[in-house]
Amino acid sequence: MSRLAIQIKDLKKSYNNIPALKGVNINISVGEFFGLLGPNGAGKTTTINILTGLVFKDHGNCLVFDKDIVKDYRYTRSKIGIAAQELSVDWFFTIEKLLYFQAGYYGISTEKAKRKVNELLDRLGLDKKRDSRLRQLSGGMKRRFQIAKALVHDPEILILDEPTAGVDVELRHDLWKYLKELHHEGKTILLTTHYIEEAELLCENVAIIDEGIILKKGSPKKLTKELGNSGLTVQIGQNVNDVDISPFLNDLNYTIEDSRLHFSVKDPEKAIPEIIQRLAKINIPLQSIKTETSSLEDVFLDLTGKSINE
Amino acid sequence: MINWIGLWTLTNREVGRFFSVYRQTIIPGLISSVLYILIFGFTLEQRISEIQGVSYTMFILPGLIMMNTLTNASSNTSSSMLQMKLLQQLPDLLTAPLSGLEIALAYIIGGTVRGIVNGILVLLVGVILIDLPISNLPGTLIFIFLVSWAFSSMGLVMGQLAESWDQLAMIQNFFLTPLSFLGGVFYSIKMLPEWAQSLSFINPIYYMINGIRYTILERSDSPVSISFWMAVLLTLLFTSLAIIMMQSGKRIKQ
Repeated sequence: MSRLAIQIKDLKKSYNNIPALKGVNINISVGEFFGLLGPNGAGKTTTINILTGLVFKDHGNCLVFDKDIVKDYRYTRSKIGIAAQELSVDWFFTIEKLLYFQAGYYGISTEKAKRKVNELLDRLGLDKKRDSRLRQLSGGMKRRFQIAKALVHDPEILILDEPTAGVDVELRHDLWKYLKELHHEGKTILLTTHYIEEAELLCENVAIIDEGIILKKGSPKKLTKELGNSGLTVQIGQNVNDVDISPFLNDLNYTIEDSRLHFSVKDPEKAIPEIIQRLAKINIPLQSIKTETSSLEDVFLDLTGKSINE
Repeated sequence: MINWIGLWTLTNREVGRFFSVYRQTIIPGLISSVLYILIFGFTLEQRISEIQGVSYTMFILPGLIMMNTLTNASSNTSSSMLQMKLLQQLPDLLTAPLSGLEIALAYIIGGTVRGIVNGILVLLVGVILIDLPISNLPGTLIFIFLVSWAFSSMGLVMGQLAESWDQLAMIQNFFLTPLSFLGGVFYSIKMLPEWAQSLSFINPIYYMINGIRYTILERSDSPVSISFWMAVLLTLLFTSLAIIMMQSGKRIKQ
């Protein structure tokens, strides 16, 4: 088994007796791109805030590279860089200075942080703004600064809380590209999001969380196969009667609508040859076949009975 | 083990913060002290006889130093902490490998530096404008240092407790400013009726003002040793409280 970067065991937390986490368990391997997917208020931010020391846990354990986040907080915090959802504001210092401060909090002197600060300002397109104050930056630039701040001490784990919330499409794609590069360089990434597309595109594994409970874990592909509503719709040349075809297809899950047959299957592409063969045997002419692959959105709907954006 | 670079960085940030807005943090105290000197020195002093053998302007100057020192020291830590809470900057510190002790110390040192800078500047104004004699400079500096540290720590407690600017202003306006004025900045408590004198004895700022007045003018309403130990006691009390609160994180984490 690969080494674990993050282990969360039976994590519970309540705010004013209202449970926010009801026993969350998550394992994230070193180098993994992991997504915590859920609607607003599901418990995503509480989970990562406990992991990074912003919120006290009521019960359970969190380990970072096998070290406890409370007992060995200096070690665990030095391994994590976090880009919070809320953008911070600072009126006093330039963004370059703020990056040096951030490095300093992690025990890195200005001299030693210089190379990394320059690299990040350059890579995130903030080089020309290094002498600007945060309030002078656009929303997108602030978001990029947030990521630079999380990376300035070169952490092995990067945690991003809704990194693309409220940003335009272009910046969202830029950020995705950058996150892929970081992952490729070997960083373990934990991302919370309620954007399905983001999780499907970036994450190797996701955990679906709702009302403080992890409902399902696995790769987006596996989850959509297991739980989604994938299927095949076959358009045939004539209206068919169920009585005529059911003896040949009765082991399959299908419905008939005039001259259309809809088959519910986990893996539509794999099922195509089998279905063509069966229909050919009973001489049913095929006009077209359409595959329908479900998304994590369907999985979420399946699990909770509601949309992730509700 | 102490994260020395982290401690230094945060201290540096705190000091840099108030220097970067010196028009708000240094100049106002200087202007009001100069105004006090001008108003009392050139107008009221002709009508107010000497107090304890020194001119009225000279008599009030140690109190002005103390008032400026303690309000600046406490407002530096309290406003910085509250600002960090309200502007989402605090998570940067709380997610970093910094202990509560290191965060508290950095804040306290930042506030202490502001208290000392302001205190010494008013002292210099006194020396330049009214030839203020300083009978025991090391003693004066020790009082400025202790009061800066104590009230910087108190400010950090206030900043952790407060959740809005309104609450902070309330502590400042209803507690700190009245205690400073009633601590004998502008009068000797011997000029008060007996019951008011007794009340002054439970005001800690009274001891601070009389302590520094003794080190500068060798005049005091109470023994300087009591003032000194009171300053030490306040320093220890507020420092411990600020550090314990920060270490527990109860007022800054959920």
